[in-house]
Order: sequence, then C-alpha cells, then structure tokens
Amino acid sequence: MHEINSEEKAQFQLERLQSTLNRAYKNVLFHQNRQNIDGISGGIERFRVESIEDLATFPFMERKHLGNNYPYGLFAVPLKDIVRIHTAPGTTVNPTVSGYTRQDLQLWREMVSTALAASNVSVSDILQINLDPGLANWGRDYKDGAETIGASVIPNTSLSLEKQLMVLKDYKTSVLITTPSSISQLADYILLKENLDPKDLNLKTLILTGEPVDSEFRNLLQQNFHLTTWLHYGLSEVPGPAIAFECREHEGLHVNENHFLPEIVDPETGQPLPEGETGELILTTLTTRAFPLIRFKTGDRARFIKGTCKCRSPFVRIEWFNDRIDNMLNISGVKVNQELVLFQIEQALGFVPANCCFLKKRNGARNYLEVSLSVDDRLFSDEIKVLERLMKTVGNKLQEHIGVPVTIRLKEKKSFENRAGLVV
Amino acid sequence: MLLIKNLKCYYNKIMAIKGVSVSVRKGELISLIGANGSGKSTFLQAICGLLPGWEGEISFDNSSLRGFEPPAIVKKGISMVPEGRLVFSSLSTLDNLKLGAYTMYRKKHHNYVKEDLEMVMNLFPILRDRSDQQAGTLSGGEQQMLAIGRALMARPRLLLLDEPSMGLAPLLVEKIFETLTILKNKGLTILLVEQNARSALKIADRGYVLETGSIVLQGTSSDLLEDVEVKRAYLGRDYGEFYDGRA
Repeated sequence: MHEINSEEKAQFQLERLQSTLNRAYKNVLFHQNRQNIDGISGGIERFRVESIEDLATFPFMERKHLGNNYPYGLFAVPLKDIVRIHTAPGTTVNPTVSGYTRQDLQLWREMVSTALAASNVSVSDILQINLDPGLANWGRDYKDGAETIGASVIPNTSLSLEKQLMVLKDYKTSVLITTPSSISQLADYILLKENLDPKDLNLKTLILTGEPVDSEFRNLLQQNFHLTTWLHYGLSEVPGPAIAFECREHEGLHVNENHFLPEIVDPETGQPLPEGETGELILTTLTTRAFPLIRFKTGDRARFIKGTCKCRSPFVRIEWFNDRIDNMLNISGVKVNQELVLFQIEQALGFVPANCCFLKKRNGARNYLEVSLSVDDRLFSDEIKVLERLMKTVGNKLQEHIGVPVTIRLKEKKSFENRAGLVV
Repeated sequence: MLLIKNLKCYYNKIMAIKGVSVSVRKGELISLIGANGSGKSTFLQAICGLLPGWEGEISFDNSSLRGFEPPAIVKKGISMVPEGRLVFSSLSTLDNLKLGAYTMYRKKHHNYVKEDLEMVMNLFPILRDRSDQQAGTLSGGEQQMLAIGRALMARPRLLLLDEPSMGLAPLLVEKIFETLTILKNKGLTILLVEQNARSALKIADRGYVLETGSIVLQGTSSDLLEDVEVKRAYLGRDYGEFYDGRA
C-alpha cells in the first residue's frame, strides 16, 4: 500500500467498502434491515454507498448489537466456512461471539506482521508475549503474526513476575509484547524488588497494546531499559491487536486502511468531525469475510493527525486518548462494561444494591476490578461466613463473565458519597 | 489506467449493474468472475460504448469515456474480444485481422499493420496456416484466436475479453489463457470477464466477483482462489448450505 497515491487509496477503499456492504446485505439479516430504506415511491430501496463520505449517513453499529445477535446472527458466511470462533465479554447478557474464515485468519496474520515489521521486529528476534488472560485472543494473533515474520515466539502464558523475568533474562527476549499496566508492574519488580540492571537484559523493543500510554511513562521506560517502545491499537470484538500501529516516527498510530476504514465522529451528534478534532473512533471492516463491522462505535476517544507522516505511509494517523467515550473501564486492555457488571450482580444476588462503585485497581502483579456494594437489609447478614460466601459467589460470577479479576467490597451507604470511580 | 466508479446500467427500467466500482492498473490482468446473468457482459459493453445511458464514472487514463462511440473508444486504446467470437464468417482469416487494424489505417500507420500481423501470426501460428480460409469454417478455438488477434491488431493498451473460454475444449482454454499470460508479460493491460473462475483467477493479479449486478468479493487472485465462497459458487466444490446445522 505504501506505493499508492491518495486517489488510488480512495478508489480501492470504495471498492472494498461496497463489496463489504453487498456481502453483508446478502448474508446477514441485521445488515439487510439496516440497508433497507424507504424509497421515494413508498417501497423499500437499498441504501447504496457511492463514495466514502456516503457512509456518514449510515447508522452506527454498537456493542449491544453484537450481544443481541448472539451467537451467530452476525456471521456473513456459513458456519462450515468458519475455522475459529472467539468470545469476548459483551455489554449485554450475552457475550460477543466472532468468527473467522481461513481467509480472515490469513489477513489477521498479515495485519499483525505488518504492524510488527513497522516496529522493527525481524527474523532475528526472540519475541515474548505477556498479555492478561482477557486478551488471550490477541496473544494468539501476535503469535501468528510474529511467526509469519519468522521471529522466535514465546507464546502467551500466565506467569508470575518472577517467572516472566526469568524468561525475559534467560531466553534473551529481544521483543516484549504487553500492556502498559503489565509492564508497569514488571518494571517495578525488575528495578525495585530484584534490583536488576536492565543492561543484563537483551530487551530492545517493547510493544505496548490494549491501553493508551502517556509519553512520560514511555520515556521513563525507554531511558531505564534502553529500548524503544511502540504502541498498537486493537479491538476485542474483532480480535485484532494491530488495527493501528506506530511507525518509526512515533507520531501517532497508522490505521491499517487496507483493512479498516476509520472515522472520528462527535459523540453527541454522531456527525463526522474535521481532521484534528477529538471524538469517538468509528471503524468499518473492509476485508473481513466472516464478521463484518459497519460503522462500529469503539468507545475510544481519538483524533486524526493532520498531514502526511514523515514515513510517507498513506495510512491515516490517529492519536489515541486515555479517557473513553463510553462508561467502560479498560483493565489491562480488557473492556469492562458497567451495565454488564450490574446485570451479573443482579443475577448473583437477585437484586442490585442501592449503591455500587467500580474502580480499576492494582495489587502487585495484577490489575483488577474492585466492586463496592452498599450494605442494606437485603444484603446484610449477622453471620460473617454468609457474607463472605456471598462476596465470593458474586466475585466469581463477575470474573467469569467479564474476564478480569474482581474483588468485592461491602460498605456502608454513606461511604459512597463523594466517591471516585463509576458510582451507580 | 481504467477507473470505474458506481457504474449503473439499465435494461429498460431494470438495473443490471448496480453501482459497481472496479479499477485496473497499468500492466495488470484483472478477472471479473460471475455466473450467467450476473451482468459481466453488460459491464464490458458499457466500457466499450456499446451500452449508452449508463450512470456513474468510467475513465481511461484520467479521461472520461462518457459519450464516446465504440470507434472512438477503440482509438483511445481499448479493444474488446466479444462473447461468442463474432468473427466475420464470410471473410478470410487475414481480412478479419486487417479489419481489426482499421484504426491503424485511419491513422496512416500502414507500416504497423504488417508488423502486427506478424506478431499475431507468431502468437497463434495456426492462423498463418489458415490465413486464406473463411473465418466461418475455422474451429471454435481458432475463431477465438482470430478474435483475440483481431483485437490486438488495433494495438490496444487495454484488452477486454468476454468469456474467451466459452464452448472451448479444456486444452484450447489452456492455450488461450497461456496466450493471455504472454500478452500480460509483454505489458498489456487486460480485463478478463469469465465464468471459468479457476482458469481466470490462476492467471490474474486480482479479481472481482460479480453477483446479480453487484461486486460481493474482491481481492488478489490467490486470495480468491482459496476463498470457500468462491470455491463453492464457482469452482465446483460443495460446501453445503448456509447455516448447515453444524452448530
């Protein structure tokens, strides 16, 4: 794609967008209904995109649509064509299920390897993947992409900080893929607890994914560990950790426009925003066979960066911001939906306590979700054991459904006044 | 080189091509595959000026083809090999080829004609042996070679072919597609419309799948050859029905 001009890019994006919409219309009832519009003569006409700009008049696709069509309602190919099925925590009672054809997996491998190559990963690298279990799908994609490049891959497994460091040191890892939260814990462990000189490590490339990262923290990592950091952006709904990635200039993330069409819209009005203004990132898949997303609201806050990158890539760049448009919490790259947490609490208790508060917290090696519930007559018991069992049940249920560790705290109602975090 | 945006073609009030966008870059061999009635021939006819009243944009080397008659489009460098060959049956093979060079004569490029005849005869040696034979008495494969040769006599920069494999024995199909590869390797840009998806995609750089007037898939030819949907619909493999009960 690097050799094409903007006119050619617009043409091929239009071609891919039209074929995506046509296939979605043909094979998925949900998309068919959304593309049917009332015609001038009173009958139903098909909405047709004649330019990329036309897409702006099309309705958004939200996370709730993925849950409402559980499990296979949004698949655009017969099940026999599906070779992989992924599940991610959704925003409704149902999880999000996405499917992949053999072609889709091949495309993801290419996408991830493109992003890794842009981060200077090569055949001579030893690449270690360290992502939370909630990002296990991404771990597989990174493994496939890195193997495509020919790097020696240490696949994603859940390891203690001690073991992570052992692998990092003894296996002479040169590239580490992890989340900013995880590297923060590992860095503390290496520098403060183990008191290890980073020069003893072979690490030269650190790929950060799942969460935005602030420049101060990056600089600190780069200085202390004598390495280069690279940021990747992905979506858990279409497990692709490398939808956007940094190039050698590190001036924003290039969206892989061979496969995705990005838009930035005003979260209030839904209208496209001028280049440079901050809004919600909307993504449309251009090549996905099994699970097309059309104008998918990511909930991520971003802006397009003006001008062409010095690397001369025609891929548009975004700046990705830490705060979200929606009320989801990003815990080590896993998106946690407030409504889903409340729903699961109701499922476990039979009611929703008068006050609930959700906070992202960290305890040593792990980030977790702290759920505080106000104690009232319905929740109260004079037996500590009963309360403990109840908290454990709720915690386990939540953990199972949202994919991150959960701690439940029971508190007095008055302690919810003036609390930080998501209070409901 | 050839850029098509939102092409719509109608037969009376029925939309046969429903907003198709396709691009062909210089030196590429592009295959447009689709079943009978999907709109493939209509699509080519619009490019060649044989189907007036189309909507959208067709541009060749950055200039619009809107309003141009077929002879003017040939002069611009686009030649078509029509479906069913359509050779001039009562004329000799040689005269058919010379007719293809009509625009060369008009441009006073008489010297090109001899040179190009030699090129075509070298490409299809059988045509040299049949040069005095009436075209209508040639076999189907020979007529197809003649039709391609006739189109090449206009020195096109873009060659359009409408189902060149139709009605031919497999060995002849192979020969025709080998010739197209030779022409591509010489730098000719080719847009090939075919039902024979496997052969067409094997020699193409990229491909588009047309279904009832809309493009539903596009990609590199290797990608499409491996695609189960393409295999099921066009390469004769049974992959069952949608939602086949596996779940």
